[in-house]
Amino acid sequence: MALPPPDPQFVLRGTSAAIHTLHFSCGSQGPDVPTLFSGSENGFIHVWNLKTHRVDTALDGHGRKSVYCVETMGGKDRLLSQGRDQRICLWDLAEGRTSVTDSVFTENVGFCRCSLLKVAQGRWLMAMAAKALEEVQVLELPSKTSVCTLKPEVGAKLGMPMCLKLWQLNCGSQPLLLAGYEDGSVVLWNLSMAKALSQLVCHQEPVMSLDFDSEKAKGISGSSEKVLSIWSLNEQQNLQVYKTHRLVNAGISDITIRPDKKILATAGWDHRIRIFGWKKLKPLAVLDYHTATVHCVSFSDHRNPSERLLAAGSKDHRISIWSIYTQT
Amino acid sequence: MAVFDTPQEAFGALRPACVQLTRAQTLENVARLQAGLAAVSASALQELQEYVLFPLRFALKVPGPKQERLVQSVVECMASVLAATCVKKQELLQELFSELCACLSPPSSTSKPASLSEELKLAVIQALHTLMHSAYGDVILSLYQPSTLPLLGFAVSLLLGLSEQEKAKQIKISALKCLQVLVLQCDCQEHRQLDEDEAQQCGDLFASFLPGISITLSRVITGDIKQGHKTTVSAIRLFYQIVGLVMADEQLARIPKNKEKLPAERSRISELMVHRGPDWSRSTAEKLCLLLHKMVEFSSVHPHWKVRLELVELVQHLLRNCSQSLVDSFSHLLKALVGLVNDENSEVQSRCNEVLQGIAEQGLVAQNRALADILSENLHSLATALPRLMNSQDDMGKVSTLSLLLGYLKLLGPKINIVLNSTSHLHRLCRALMQVLELDVTDVKIVEDRRWGCEGTCGPSGSVQHGVQKGRCQKKYFRFFTEEKVFQLLQQVCRVLGYYGNLYLLVDHFMGLYSESGMYRKQAAMVLNELIAGAAGVGVDVLQERETSPNMDDLKGSIVSILDEYTDQANWYLITSIDTEVSHEHSVPCSGLTACPGGACSSVPLPSPEPHVTARTMNSNIWQICIQLEGVSCFAAVLGKEFRLLLLSALYPVLEKAGDKTLLISETALGTLADICEACGYNSVQCLINDNSDYLVNGISLNLRQLAHQPHASQVLDTMLRHSDASLLPLVEDVIQDVLSTLDQSYSNQASTFLRVLHSVMTALVRWFGSSCGEEHQHGQSRAVSQGQQAVTRQELEKFFLDYIRQKQIAEGNLPDPGDEETDEVPPVAKLEPNNSDTEGEAPLPSHAQLAKAVMERCIHLLSDGDLRVRLKVLDVLELCVTVLHPHGNHLLPMAHRVWPALVTRLISDDPLAVLRAFKVLCTLAQKCRDFLRQRFSKDVLPKLTSCLLSQAPASARAGPVYSHTLAFKLQLAVLQGLGSLCEKLDMGESDLNKVADACLIYLSAKQPMRLQEAAQSVFLHLMHVDPDSTWLLLNKLCCPHGYEPPHASLRPVKLGGMGRQRDEFTHNVLLLLERLRQRESAATPGAAPP
Repeated sequence: MALPPPDPQFVLRGTSAAIHTLHFSCGSQGPDVPTLFSGSENGFIHVWNLKTHRVDTALDGHGRKSVYCVETMGGKDRLLSQGRDQRICLWDLAEGRTSVTDSVFTENVGFCRCSLLKVAQGRWLMAMAAKALEEVQVLELPSKTSVCTLKPEVGAKLGMPMCLKLWQLNCGSQPLLLAGYEDGSVVLWNLSMAKALSQLVCHQEPVMSLDFDSEKAKGISGSSEKVLSIWSLNEQQNLQVYKTHRLVNAGISDITIRPDKKILATAGWDHRIRIFGWKKLKPLAVLDYHTATVHCVSFSDHRNPSERLLAAGSKDHRISIWSIYTQT
Repeated sequence: MAVFDTPQEAFGALRPACVQLTRAQTLENVARLQAGLAAVSASALQELQEYVLFPLRFALKVPGPKQERLVQSVVECMASVLAATCVKKQELLQELFSELCACLSPPSSTSKPASLSEELKLAVIQALHTLMHSAYGDVILSLYQPSTLPLLGFAVSLLLGLSEQEKAKQIKISALKCLQVLVLQCDCQEHRQLDEDEAQQCGDLFASFLPGISITLSRVITGDIKQGHKTTVSAIRLFYQIVGLVMADEQLARIPKNKEKLPAERSRISELMVHRGPDWSRSTAEKLCLLLHKMVEFSSVHPHWKVRLELVELVQHLLRNCSQSLVDSFSHLLKALVGLVNDENSEVQSRCNEVLQGIAEQGLVAQNRALADILSENLHSLATALPRLMNSQDDMGKVSTLSLLLGYLKLLGPKINIVLNSTSHLHRLCRALMQVLELDVTDVKIVEDRRWGCEGTCGPSGSVQHGVQKGRCQKKYFRFFTEEKVFQLLQQVCRVLGYYGNLYLLVDHFMGLYSESGMYRKQAAMVLNELIAGAAGVGVDVLQERETSPNMDDLKGSIVSILDEYTDQANWYLITSIDTEVSHEHSVPCSGLTACPGGACSSVPLPSPEPHVTARTMNSNIWQICIQLEGVSCFAAVLGKEFRLLLLSALYPVLEKAGDKTLLISETALGTLADICEACGYNSVQCLINDNSDYLVNGISLNLRQLAHQPHASQVLDTMLRHSDASLLPLVEDVIQDVLSTLDQSYSNQASTFLRVLHSVMTALVRWFGSSCGEEHQHGQSRAVSQGQQAVTRQELEKFFLDYIRQKQIAEGNLPDPGDEETDEVPPVAKLEPNNSDTEGEAPLPSHAQLAKAVMERCIHLLSDGDLRVRLKVLDVLELCVTVLHPHGNHLLPMAHRVWPALVTRLISDDPLAVLRAFKVLCTLAQKCRDFLRQRFSKDVLPKLTSCLLSQAPASARAGPVYSHTLAFKLQLAVLQGLGSLCEKLDMGESDLNKVADACLIYLSAKQPMRLQEAAQSVFLHLMHVDPDSTWLLLNKLCCPHGYEPPHASLRPVKLGGMGRQRDEFTHNVLLLLERLRQRESAATPGAAPP
């Protein structure tokens, strides 16, 4: 008989607002304490010290509007955050500073999280939903110069972009963008030609989240339905449905494949976190702790695999931290 | 005094006496010379020294038997000459020396000293003493040549003989003193220091005497105690001085391997000389070892402290001078030295400590591997014998044994690791500590003592604070000793080990013992605690500083691993009581992965309940937990603020134990909390809890998910609530919701556990927000009073008349009477009420009231639980909920509405205990929901209660004494006790009151059991408050003691039912009540006559 699912290793509370996004920064060497960033509905970004399990600092930069995306750029001293105030802020957190160094005004009213990709030392590409409803804009950071704007063909009726994933096969190769749209389709974009390479209708409902494994050329997406869709990218850069997986309860708000590409975690509207094997999508565990919709899941980047963690943020104001590496 | 300063004058004065003495050796002549000497100055006498000495020496040399008295006076006279002069010639010294010695020798050369008078012996000894002091440095050294060896030997043996065999103390002491001078070790400062070569030479010389001297002295030292301490002291001093000289490491080191060839003419003498080569020194050391052993044994327990003090000096002297040559003896010497640290005499103690300190500071042990080996060997044998000694010795003996152990460890100092690295040593030592530290676990009281306030309805906050004192160790009872000092010594032993020893090694070893067997667990934990304290240098008393103190990280590492072990489920959740609840909780099989408090996960299932848990086991478990808690205190103290990081995992378990039902555990845990506060710099336990509530809440919330851990989690919450204030509420609100939702999932089996939490939550809420509820109380009461007044017709009547009179007076021109504004006060109060409730309806309910509402919701479900205890608890909680919700009538009323059906059932058909509590709830409820309840009560409850009372009355009236044990009786009693106050609170209507009065009336009968009568009386007393008149009337129907004359003939005569009745069963109680009524009335309206 399988082991019953574990309890959270720890629960972080005290944000007093729903958690929308989580990002670990534990990979650095030296005496630095492992850190977790969380963005919450009240517009604060909390910096959690994972040694004391307490908030070190709370960053307030989005005018008390919900923060729904937090990423680090390089170390934990440079932070990118996206909020409902239609701004993407770049933070300088070195030596205890908490200042916004730069910001991008997106003029987009949707919920689409931006996607960040490091293309060279000190140079990032960032994809974000643009002002025009169906468009995606790609900027280069930190210079903020526009790289391209991706417009669907006239009459495609994709709706708003819902989720984005910038990726490249290997360092130096052509960056590509996967975007999930409101009508349930996933589109692969070529950035240099600003052209859609392939389009695949995965869901009947808007695509809520997607993640892509460039090694296996396989991706997964979830929507508000009871279905997870796994699709693959063939040599001709065409997206094909690989498999679908039916769920008991509808609604997936976030999907993350673990960096080692062995398992993936989904954040469910049914308050549960589900763990699957990535290879065959074998259900491994249902982590039941939260009492409201889980908004986001994130895997930590600890150097030592045994220390690695899974964090989930939920509408119930709590962040649950799980240690699932040892069990799998 | 000196009259003759010049030699000439002196000569003139002394000559006659000298001539006379030369002619005739008589006492008188000697006396004359002696008298003459007194008048001569020292410088003059020096010139005449030989001249004066001549007749004296001549007197001694005259052949033939001599009168002893004469010899004595001659010798004394010589001594006085010598005392005033110096001997400047070597020959003179040698001659005098031999002549004096000859005085003591028997005429025939038998070995025994001549049987001379004691005075003579003393005189000779003193003369020798004086002689040795009167000789100059170079001159005296001439005496210490190989050629004079026979002479010296003769003197030494003479003096030794005297010191051993004489009876007179003074002779013995003088002989020893003289010997001391003879071996050039005089105490006085006059002597010139010998240089190295001279000392070496003397050493060579004295080596020949060493056997004789040492053996004789050892006999003197171990001789009869009656010889007096001074003799022994001198003998010891002489012993160590001569041994220290002859066996000095410095000298021995310079001795060539082979004996030097001496010139031929001295060969005979040189045969007498000893060559102090390695062989000689080895064999001598062996012999000395035996002697020393005997001496040390004897004198370390000598009754006189000066002897023991001298022994300390001996050890010090020998250690300083002969640490290599006499290495084998140090086992005994150090044992004696270390043992004397605890001497009863403070001087010995302090000197001993000084010496030890000196030894440590000079690094004698650290540099001398052999010495360290000896110490470790001693330690080993002591450790081996320790359990046996602890078993057999009395407390004093144990103290000395342990101080010996401690002394060894202290002396070893940094070299302790030599001992620890040897498995056998470590093993012995541990085993000994384990056995000695065994606790006495037979006391049943520890198991029985429960924590107060846990089951009580209201935890008194004052007494909770009282419990939080500075954490002191609980007094432990050991199996093998009772003396506190013994424990302190053991503590020191462990601390010294921790201070010097390799911490990792020690912690590892004792952790091994800890987990190895339950038998050693407590002791091992105790030792571990002390080790850590010692390693940090807390409360440890050592002789020398260690080279390197452990860094904080190492210490922290060890502490973390010990803490993990302590708070491991198998060691933390032990059976300490056989409560049904607890045993129930333990029997719950642990399902799946278990979350440890604070995160560290382990999958060890809880210890399965043993079929027969004895009081002994429980006592042992209690102690184990206490010791572990003390450990946490100790670790906190060691780490200071650094401990804050460990609070994540340590605070939760401690709070868990603070909520334990066993008194000892909870008290210890509270002490630990206080210690943690101090160590981590929190002002109070409350600060500690509030600042770390996130950790605690996390632990609670995670543990609530495990069925087996739910009781612990609830205990933690309980403790948090007890020790904090309203500021905690926002922090724990979240987790209280968790508790409620967990309760929702398991009403059946965990209800009682959770009710305890709910109870403490509600108690805390009442305590924190009670003041606002209190105001409401008063409000309600004032209204009740005002309404009560309105119902009183007599007062209205009176007022009417008074008003009438006043109006009349005003009309007549008199000023109005100030005061009496009661009537004005009533309307505002009445108006205020609806206003209040209006605003409440709009404002959001404060969080504490929301909680109370949520808890009340659960109570509704639990009111009909099958278990009486649960029902009782629920009723208590319910009452608290109602109290908290008092100010929020709009919310309370609907809840009351929902509670009502279940409550009614409790009131009319439940166990009497439950009925009683339900009445209490009803009374509390009645203060706010009077109107709501009045009607329902009279409709749903009252008829059943009254009919029940009425139907039961005949039965109870007939019943015998056994009836008071029946359920029916208890029910009757409960109803009667509760009914009165309820009627008053609810402000019942007249018809209902009549019903109540009718039902209770029969219980005023003298036939009823006494307690029911009393209860019925209480009902009527309450009724009197509500409606005194009708009560009066009713009572008078039964019995009327007075006749009432109408005040005016026009009024009809008063006829009451009770008038003229015979005395019957009711009379007594009715009269009693009427009297009370009268008193009350007269107190309320003084001067007013009863109507």
